[in-house]
Amino acid sequence: MDRGLRRRMHQTATDRRFAILACATIGWLMVEGLARAGEGPRPVDFAHTIVPIIRAHCAGCHTDGKYKGSFSLDTREAMLRSESVVLGKSAQSELIERVLSKDPDFRMPQKGPGLTASEIDQLRAWIDEGASWEPGFSFKVSRYFAPLKLRRPTLPAARDGRDHPIDRLVDTYLNAHKIPLPRPIDDAGFARRLFLDVIGLLPPPSELEAFVKDESTDKRIRLIRRVLNDRRAYADHWLTFWNDLLRNDYKGTGYIDGGRKQISAWLYQSLIDNKPYDRFVRELISPKPESEGFIKGIKWRGRVNASQVREIQFSQNVSQVFFGINMKCASCHDSFIDRWKLNDAYGLAAVIAESPLEIARCDKLTGRIAQPKFLWPELGSIDPAWSQERRLEKLAGMVTHPDNGWFARTIVNRVWHRLMGRGIVHPVDVMANEPWSPDLLDYLANHLVDHDYDLKALIGHIAESSAYQSSPAISSEADQPDSPAFRGPEIKRMTAEQFVDALWLLTKIAPAKADSPGRPPCEASAPDHRYLRASLMKSDELMRSLGRPNREQVVTTRGDVLTTLEALDLSNGQLFNDTLAKGAANLIRSRPGTTADEWIDSIYIQALGRQPASGERATARELLGSPATAEGLADLLWVLTALPEFQLIR
Amino acid sequence: MIVDDPMRGTDGSRRAFLRAMGAATAAALASGEPVPVSAAEPVRQPEPTADTMILLWLAGGMASPETFDPKRYTPYEIGVPAEKILCTFPSIPTALDGVRISQGLEHTASVLDRGVLIRSHVVADLGNILHSRHQYHWHTGYVPPQTVAAPHLGAWVAKVRGPRNPAIPAFINIGQRLEGHGEVEELKAFTTAGFFGSEYGPFNIPYPLDAIAAVRPPRGVNRDRFSRRERAYRRLMDEGPLAGMASDYHRQSVVRAMENAYRLLNSPEREAFDLSKEPKAIFDRYNTGRFGQGCLLARRLTEAGARFIEVTTEYVPFLSWDTHENGHATYTEMKKQIDQPIAQLILDLEERGLLDRTMVVVASEFSRDMMIEGVPGSTAKDQSRAKADVMQKPIHYGLHRHFTGSGSVLIFGGGFRRGLVHGETAPERPLVVTRDPVSIPDLHATLLHAMGIGPRTAFDVEKRPFYVTKDGTGQPIKTLLARA
Repeated sequence: MDRGLRRRMHQTATDRRFAILACATIGWLMVEGLARAGEGPRPVDFAHTIVPIIRAHCAGCHTDGKYKGSFSLDTREAMLRSESVVLGKSAQSELIERVLSKDPDFRMPQKGPGLTASEIDQLRAWIDEGASWEPGFSFKVSRYFAPLKLRRPTLPAARDGRDHPIDRLVDTYLNAHKIPLPRPIDDAGFARRLFLDVIGLLPPPSELEAFVKDESTDKRIRLIRRVLNDRRAYADHWLTFWNDLLRNDYKGTGYIDGGRKQISAWLYQSLIDNKPYDRFVRELISPKPESEGFIKGIKWRGRVNASQVREIQFSQNVSQVFFGINMKCASCHDSFIDRWKLNDAYGLAAVIAESPLEIARCDKLTGRIAQPKFLWPELGSIDPAWSQERRLEKLAGMVTHPDNGWFARTIVNRVWHRLMGRGIVHPVDVMANEPWSPDLLDYLANHLVDHDYDLKALIGHIAESSAYQSSPAISSEADQPDSPAFRGPEIKRMTAEQFVDALWLLTKIAPAKADSPGRPPCEASAPDHRYLRASLMKSDELMRSLGRPNREQVVTTRGDVLTTLEALDLSNGQLFNDTLAKGAANLIRSRPGTTADEWIDSIYIQALGRQPASGERATARELLGSPATAEGLADLLWVLTALPEFQLIR
Repeated sequence: MIVDDPMRGTDGSRRAFLRAMGAATAAALASGEPVPVSAAEPVRQPEPTADTMILLWLAGGMASPETFDPKRYTPYEIGVPAEKILCTFPSIPTALDGVRISQGLEHTASVLDRGVLIRSHVVADLGNILHSRHQYHWHTGYVPPQTVAAPHLGAWVAKVRGPRNPAIPAFINIGQRLEGHGEVEELKAFTTAGFFGSEYGPFNIPYPLDAIAAVRPPRGVNRDRFSRRERAYRRLMDEGPLAGMASDYHRQSVVRAMENAYRLLNSPEREAFDLSKEPKAIFDRYNTGRFGQGCLLARRLTEAGARFIEVTTEYVPFLSWDTHENGHATYTEMKKQIDQPIAQLILDLEERGLLDRTMVVVASEFSRDMMIEGVPGSTAKDQSRAKADVMQKPIHYGLHRHFTGSGSVLIFGGGFRRGLVHGETAPERPLVVTRDPVSIPDLHATLLHAMGIGPRTAFDVEKRPFYVTKDGTGQPIKTLLARA
């Protein structure tokens, strides 16, 4: 490419103004129209004007692998290379010449009615303005295509005696990519990770010690069962994950004026009961009053963007949460990033619509009424004449249909991500991406289906694998595109709720009453971990700081690094420090006569799951004082909770 | 140490910046934070004319006819028809010939020659008027709800320009409590870095007199004890079992974030947060309440190297500028709160030679009117609490409806022209814009242009570009800038 052309392209990419993929709100279009009066015509909008023309008339023969006459329109660069477009000069561009031609051998497209006069005018104006292109946009789509049905992969032979089905699949992957097997994790490390991953709590010291001393060979399997059977602690922990995913909370936008409804009691009981996942989802989509909050979404006061009305929220959220499909683009126009279309987004929205839903394209009404339709029509159809209730019931059946492999794959991938720190498909909300092991993904999805959609069984199955029971992979940087997809469990950061739970456990103080409706009160005689949990409380300053989100959008993953503002709250945040001071004073009062060394041992084993080394003990003694003071104890707790070793799940 | 403009600075300052924050940013980027859309083809950003932006936010809908765009004055009298009243204060002259603003703003009038007065700001009609939605719109450039969490303007500036001084948070938010009153959930929705993540989020200081508490050891812990903790933390880091092991980015992020926090808590610049260090005579000039104190804090933080500061009169439903009744009396008080601090801030920055590179913006989410809710023809519900066709009691006297058809914005310093009035509104109701309307995208594009950020600056989020001005459509109004 000559330098002049490159410079011209750069100019057009940076100087030209053209509208974009992200459609947002109108409402003030009128006002903005006024604001623009006298500025001359608006530039041609590539995403919304040119892409549909190319899609309709050219893409079939000249994009995405098919390049008749060696002509590619995949990218701007490809188009320019063909020399069919002369920037700024539509009259000299072969592209325009061809769409205008009456000669059947020369005219494009060769078949069909050809472009309308207004489409040709738009193409001309676009070329005259320099044919700006959305940066990075290509008509070429990814080759990977996830099949709808689950496959039943044949398990490869075990290597080195590692015969757990997950290990047979993982080890085959590691071997094929010449990645060394991760080293096994020690007992204490395993127990800490397992407790935090499955029930969100640090292991109680007495249990930890007994576990480490235990010499029986099945002790890890027994520990896995033991935590999974702790129904209440399990529910308390996974509540956070589901509240994020289903955007349920105890306060927040919309609740105050009835524009939003909690599902807290239903959700909590479902987790206590380990409700089969297919039934769980059917009850969300085809709900009873206590579970209808999810599909009802948030009703915002005042006018909202057409792509944020409740019906479209439903479409976006069902797609994202249960299928890892991003319908946010397609609810405004046919998606440029995957295969979903405006009709798919509206088809799903029409299932819940209580009156005819007119399709809006980029906030402009099209005059077409959406017909109820599921993403995969092969799973069944929905009669528009049916009542909303019946339509939702049918939809719930198709979402959870055993032939719908996307349903099981999406949730097993989310669970794998929670336990291993990285998805088999990554990121977890782009299930169209290629899994690093399609066999492993489908094996796990089948496991879920075969075990009556039992999520605890899935968690237990993963936790029993050597892959899970390995030392963490050390990454100096996260998510390098070319780094291997699996080298062992990734290090995870404690969630805000895990951190606060640990703090309450260490200081023996926790709120007495839950904000969440639905959880039975604590038993007075309950062991340590029966304290109320952070997941049941409204968010506060500290939790917000540590990454508990406003649940106005679906959240499937949280930030995994500590930021400066968060660290500030852990350094001089008043709420955090007051909790430590109060907790330390309580502890000192409750256990008079405890020696400094006893305090140090007990805090270390509880916080870090180990004894202090001698150097550490000396530092801790200095801080604690002898005899230990409440101030010293607060300082020791502060220092230990600030350590990466505490804040990270390794 | 002020590392001014590290992204564009000399090698030395760039290194300092990298040492301080760059690693955090790099790790954050690596861990899934949005990345610039045109990474392969860098966007050519405008040359900045300002290094700090101070947004003085008059939350609650400041009526421009009662402040910076006065109209025919009708004194209070029992029996005066409401429809006759355009504004309830007489006007006063300003430092600009022929330009008058509302009585009660005498100090601001005396510095009006230092800045640009926009009288033609138009905001969206969003149907039902809701302050938090309009504030969300103004602060993020996008109307709520959005499918992704939209970042606050301050977070954009923090993300693109970085901190001016690594010891001072890049985005500081003064005066707004986020707990304990109505609509706080809605305020939190835009008082956030959104999809950029909390590294770029607001450093909240609701009470300026307490600002120092944000950067000193917590109550109940003296500095000696605080240092002892820090020393012990460092020793335990060295003595723990992870010390000898290969480092991972998670651990690095904890270590680095804690170091950054300590840098702020121990830096000499933290004095900037301490208003008691200000000479009493100067403090008194600002001391009209929390807003005035916030302006003083903003000046001190600007001197210390802050990048983006918002000072708000604080939004609490039905208080301050949000007059649903008794507007005249309330505005008399509100103008006292803002007038001298705004003028003093401009004069102090000028005296210290900082005004040239510091932009001070005074704005609000919309204006108010005696009669019209929204814009003419709007379906918005009438929310006046003192409805009266004719004046019967003083509480009827004031602009009690929310008006989106025109509003005023002041911009001082930072490369903007001096002594310019831009746009015009009708002399009679409806008081809509009659010349040079300025939309939110274009206003933002103009402010950001001065900060060296182009209107099509975008980051990839969920595989689509998200632009700093709405869908990339904002266009800077070059006639407002000293050098176009």
